[in-house]
Amino acid sequence: MDRRLREAAPHIDDNGFTARVLQQLPAPRHARRSLRGAILLGITLLASVLVYVISDGGRFLVVAMARLTTLPAFWLFALAFCSGILVMIAGVIAATAKASELQS
Amino acid sequence: MELTDADLVARVLVDDDQHAFGELVRRHQSSVRGLLRQLTRTDLALADDLAQETFLRAYKNIRSFRGEARFSTWLYRIAYNSFRENARRRKEFVGIDEERLQAAHDPQVADPGLRHDLMHALSLLPLHERSAVLLCCQNGLSYDEAARVLDIPLGTVKTNVLRGREKLKRTLAAWGPD
Repeated sequence: MDRRLREAAPHIDDNGFTARVLQQLPAPRHARRSLRGAILLGITLLASVLVYVISDGGRFLVVAMARLTTLPAFWLFALAFCSGILVMIAGVIAATAKASELQS
Repeated sequence: MELTDADLVARVLVDDDQHAFGELVRRHQSSVRGLLRQLTRTDLALADDLAQETFLRAYKNIRSFRGEARFSTWLYRIAYNSFRENARRRKEFVGIDEERLQAAHDPQVADPGLRHDLMHALSLLPLHERSAVLLCCQNGLSYDEAARVLDIPLGTVKTNVLRGREKLKRTLAAWGPD
């Protein structure tokens, strides 16, 4: 009986069925990510231009750099080291989150 | 080396790879559409609409696929739920009594020119027996898998398969040998 039932169910040709399903899917996430990236980059550039104009050609940056150069070498090294540690921690958190997502 | 269903699902989950999902659709469209054609009593347009709905739901809810069962089993469950919801909306007549089944293959009642094949006999079964027979006997699911698809107890699946098979055997016996 089972064999008869299986034989009575022929293979159904695709005939464009898969294409019709794919057409109805929402846009892929990577397309949405590219757009998001472009928007973020654009806003960042706009914000940078605004800051440059408002701060009279970035004068505050020049002042900050000048102050940094007067710091003792030890403090410069400590600042660089702590910045590196912070970046590393952020990277580890991002990698762990991605790994959890992959495992689940 | 051909990718397994699990590999393709992982690609869809991680990279939102629609080519991978397309491959899954290509692999399973025949069995899903075949099941729905049988459930809808060969209403091809409705079956294909429900099949499209099945795969779209599968894509949107792919994160809920845990990999405990086969991907095909999970698809069949979505397909069956889509069919049931559609039947409720259309107030589909889902059952048929024994007398009508007997009359359909009684040579004194039925049109002697009419060719009663196996699919017609299946279409005469009540929905719960038809579903169980289609999943277990035609599509090769285990009783446990069929119970998950139909969301009914394991014992009920076995009973429905047994009863459905018996009715089909009686119907085919009345038609004589091939």
